[in-house]
Amino acid sequence: SIDKLKLATSMEGHSITKVVLLACGSFNPITNMHMRMFELARDHLEDTGQYKVVRGIISPVGDAYKKKGLIEACHRLEMTRLATESSDWVMVDSWESLQPEWVETAKVVRHHYEELLAAEQNIDDVDTIKYAKKRRIEENYHKHRGKSSRDHNGLQLMLLCGADVLESFGIPNMWKQEDIAEIVGRHGLVCITRSNSDPYKFIHQSDLLWKYRKNIHIVREWVTNDISATHVRRSLRRGQSVRYLLPDSVIHYIKEHDLYSSESEQKNADVVLAPLQRYTGASSS
Amino acid sequence: MAARRVPLVLLACGSFNPITNQHMRLFELARDHMHSTGQYQVVGGIVSPVSDSYGKQGLVLAKHRVAMAELALQSSNWVTVDEWESQQPDWTETVVTMRYHYGRILKEYERSVGMHNNSNPSPQLKLLCGADFLDTFKIPGLWRDDHVEELVGHFGLVCVSRGELQPERAVHESDLLSYHRHNIFHVREWVKNETSATEVRRALRRGLSVKYLLPDSVIEYIHRHNLYTEDSEMRNKSAVLRPLVKQAQEPVKSLDD
Repeated sequence: SIDKLKLATSMEGHSITKVVLLACGSFNPITNMHMRMFELARDHLEDTGQYKVVRGIISPVGDAYKKKGLIEACHRLEMTRLATESSDWVMVDSWESLQPEWVETAKVVRHHYEELLAAEQNIDDVDTIKYAKKRRIEENYHKHRGKSSRDHNGLQLMLLCGADVLESFGIPNMWKQEDIAEIVGRHGLVCITRSNSDPYKFIHQSDLLWKYRKNIHIVREWVTNDISATHVRRSLRRGQSVRYLLPDSVIHYIKEHDLYSSESEQKNADVVLAPLQRYTGASSS
Repeated sequence: MAARRVPLVLLACGSFNPITNQHMRLFELARDHMHSTGQYQVVGGIVSPVSDSYGKQGLVLAKHRVAMAELALQSSNWVTVDEWESQQPDWTETVVTMRYHYGRILKEYERSVGMHNNSNPSPQLKLLCGADFLDTFKIPGLWRDDHVEELVGHFGLVCVSRGELQPERAVHESDLLSYHRHNIFHVREWVKNETSATEVRRALRRGLSVKYLLPDSVIEYIHRHNLYTEDSEMRNKSAVLRPLVKQAQEPVKSLDD
């Protein structure tokens, strides 16, 4: 709600930045670990005394992403909705998954940031007015692109991710450099890492990440909880138990719709991942 | 005709201070594995929290540990909590707990089979444990030799590990365990899920979130009873673990039970 987004002030009197955490990914299917990342990130950010985490958004990728074994977005959305039912601050958003084409993460971040600003400016009147104002906000946004997003109303959107995303910034053709600059430089990144990985080395080795290092929040996960969705799908195909790795409601949904099978794993088997197609011009024959 | 599968009950002993999703995960992994051998049909799982007299640091009252395990297992249709061990006035040797449960299971089995001359195999009881369990056999004074013999020889072990060689090495390095190696089942856990109860208590003391590590119902119970605090962690701080005291009193008599 808008109330929640009002500027908070700490006891010492300095202002506290409100943060919305956004997680992008396949969520194929969502696991307890995905939900755990939000909890870890919130604890970490609030512990700094500078942030108040007001919301978490899970944005499953659209079907056009073309990842191998990626099942229909409607199912991934519903499973995510079920998994977030027990949370009072994390929710699912369908915007990205409903786009006909794959949407760059930077654009997803931009979309949600604009939505937040719009909510902040209390735009809930007539649609036409909303549109005009929204456009004004967008123009404003682009004008101030170089600035950090927290300059606006003490509200900041941060992308929540695992160490693998940080590392993927280094994979050629996976990301546009200006997108990394926008996500990390303008908004910020919260990166959950295993106690045995060294994300600082990765930041150190990249000039771009090093430049924005102050916007990268590294959260150590001391309790290893390495539940990959790939592993969950494998177990499901083999008829092995996945209980306590995902919420019971999600397991029930998977069984009911017979979602993960050898056939579903072959989806997009010979297709090039959408980002690689887009940035290299490869064809997906 | 295919051989009939042996009905198997899995027993997990421990502090369960508090029970975590990882504990329940061990049961799921063990059941899948034992079924895949083609020889066993897992018919039940028992969680047996240790009694308060165990003397472990930070151990909260058994009634709370039992209540939390009951809440956590509400959603399971095959694993249950048994409070017998937790209600014993003194700490109970694991083998004694196993004898109690095995007696109970056999009686129930005989009642269900009745007077028929039945060719079904008798049920078995095996101890379910984590990767580090086998190493505890090496700790001086913690186990009686005859108890280890009975545990692995008569009952059997199902040991879940994350691919470390630790449990296999423990078997290799012990003549007794090697002799009974066919009764020690190694289950590999491919997903790392090392939610230790120690880490959960640490997070709770520090006011950090433990959501998704334990069921919501257990977290609510912990908060309602304010269970894990700096103070609770100081319980038994300078106490000696009960097994070390109890077994030092009675001279270790091998093979005379």
